[in-house]
Amino acid sequence: MFIVAGLLYLPFLWTTYLSFTRYRGLGAPEWVGLDNYQALFSDPALLTSLRNTALWVAGTIIVPVGIGLLIAVLTYNMRFGGWFRLPFLIPYAISGVAVGVIWGFILQSGGALTQAMDFVGLPGAESRWLLDAPLNTFVMIGAAAWQASGVNALLFVIGLQSIPKEPLEAARVDGASGWRMFSSILWPMLRPLTTVVVGLSIVASLKTFDVVYIMTQGGPGRSSETLAITMYRETFVQSEYGMGGAVSVFLTVVTLTASIAYLRRQLSERKAL
Amino acid sequence: MKNSSKLMIAGLAAGALLLSACGGDDGNGDGTSSANGNGTSGANGEAPSGGGTLKFYTDKAAWEPQFDRVSDASEEQIGYDLDFTGYSEADAYSAFIKQSFRTAEKPSLFTWHTGDALAELVDEGMVAQTSDLWAEAMASGDIPEDLEQYYTYNGEQYCVPLHVVYWVIYYNKHVFAEHGLDVPETWDDLMEIADTLAGEGIPAFYQTNILFSFVWFQTLLAGSDPDLYEALSTGDASYTDPGVVAVMEQWRDMIDAGHFTAPDSADDPQILLNNGDVAMLNFGTFFTGALNELGMESGEDYDFFVVPNMDPSLPQTSLIVESGPLCAAEEADDRADAMEYMSWWVGAEAQTEWANARGDVSYNPNAEVRDERLADLGEQAGTDDVRLIERYFEATPQPILTAALDGFGAFVTNPGDPMPILEAIEAEADAYWASQQ
Repeated sequence: MFIVAGLLYLPFLWTTYLSFTRYRGLGAPEWVGLDNYQALFSDPALLTSLRNTALWVAGTIIVPVGIGLLIAVLTYNMRFGGWFRLPFLIPYAISGVAVGVIWGFILQSGGALTQAMDFVGLPGAESRWLLDAPLNTFVMIGAAAWQASGVNALLFVIGLQSIPKEPLEAARVDGASGWRMFSSILWPMLRPLTTVVVGLSIVASLKTFDVVYIMTQGGPGRSSETLAITMYRETFVQSEYGMGGAVSVFLTVVTLTASIAYLRRQLSERKAL
Repeated sequence: MKNSSKLMIAGLAAGALLLSACGGDDGNGDGTSSANGNGTSGANGEAPSGGGTLKFYTDKAAWEPQFDRVSDASEEQIGYDLDFTGYSEADAYSAFIKQSFRTAEKPSLFTWHTGDALAELVDEGMVAQTSDLWAEAMASGDIPEDLEQYYTYNGEQYCVPLHVVYWVIYYNKHVFAEHGLDVPETWDDLMEIADTLAGEGIPAFYQTNILFSFVWFQTLLAGSDPDLYEALSTGDASYTDPGVVAVMEQWRDMIDAGHFTAPDSADDPQILLNNGDVAMLNFGTFFTGALNELGMESGEDYDFFVVPNMDPSLPQTSLIVESGPLCAAEEADDRADAMEYMSWWVGAEAQTEWANARGDVSYNPNAEVRDERLADLGEQAGTDDVRLIERYFEATPQPILTAALDGFGAFVTNPGDPMPILEAIEAEADAYWASQQ
């Protein structure tokens, strides 16, 4: 327990302390009070970073969670459903860095996507996927969804398989099927698992780093920066460890607030049920 | 419950003590010294031990085979070899080196950057002074005096040049031959070539919106107003100066004319040149190694030329130079051995080995560079016809550089009115220079 406390609490306390100092990684930190926080909140780039992070949260909940749920519902009762889900799971075995590299080649100007769209004659082939904001954030959310949808599907399948057979049989006897069966029976009974999947997705999306760093490094001109990229940039590119600390404390507060608010709401709704 | 809280607090306190004990000194020179890993090198401040293994750190991980070759040569000639640790991510490397100064295991030898980055280490007393070594090497003609300015802080020298790189334009000889193009002698010739290639649907030049977004800014400004270029790096000129604006407009015109590759290309530039997907690359001479590794042959498949000045009335040709330092930590246990190694490194034998291993030029005129084109360039760089100008990356203080890289990255992506970008860089520059007073 001491080791865990040492490895988790001490770095956080040290980072919090650094956020009130000016420190460039050499010598001793110089206490500057709230200066870093003032500079952070008066930087217009923070607004872009916040907007992009919010897009990542919304996008991650809608796209990979939605696709994962769809795959799970369509295949959990299907013969050879496991084989159908397998291709969706393979990208999960790849690191975020590799995902960024692969999709970087696909989405670059004149890359595979543009060529394919051109070949088929689809409109929008000339789009500058990684160059124009917020399009670059949207396509990167798509790349991340490509990786994460499979594991979400797996989690939902586990949830679906744990639903007792009796209520499903009763619903079928009563004539429920299709959308009615999903909305009235499956979805409410999946609720505990959905809470976990969405909760994990919120936390993962708030700390989005690898895919963005590899594909755009937060650019061009900081247009696709997320809070985690801002933190890295301040700390390791600018060597402003104090400012980087302020961003990480802010990101921690945002992540904790969002997670606690979401879980509280879910748990209180469950109690009300 | 209360007991567990007490235990946790006690644990945290114990952990804090443990970490502070492990954390070493604050870099002010009162840290503990431990014996070198193999116990063969002398202690800090003592005479060199005459041989052994030196811990060597660099952010040039891809150059390991070349460092290994030089390490073999040094072992044979002076009894020292290098224990190589390479980082491929420059930011992670920078953080690692800075943090290592807080530990007892300070790096014996490490590569760094000149300019602001080295000044920071010098200010904190982290790097060993090398003034005597420089005096000796300049007297023997091993280091040209031109380089001294990049290594001098408060009148003393620190580190030695690891290498020197001149920025030139590489071109694919087959593409040039196919389109009946000759090596340009003037800026107008160069633009004519670029127009011809654009008409054939081939981008003349490579450019990117990440990290190396500064390259064409430095080329255009150094070739049109080198004094203004240098004044920007010292805070004596503004980024909104009409000369800077004119350069940005020229850059925009070139982008609009189709002279450049898309700025988000995920392909390596050497691959693009090899495939003939781009005709020319504006890069440092370190790039020769990358092209040779692809099987391209110097003089057959590719060649290079010095970029002609944009302003033909300038008395000297501006040539961008980049020199990366090799440093020893002031508090390293085996500093005397590291100094011995640096002394060997700048000599003709080491530089001959290094330049030929890398396929690059050498700053040491006594070194024998086998590639005739590189040897000629090295000689040309030492003449009065050439004005050496420090690369933008090292010449610009870090906060301004970061803002500029962002700004140039945005500009090459969406070339338009350059003023908002220049004003943003200038705001950062104003804040930086104000903080330095």
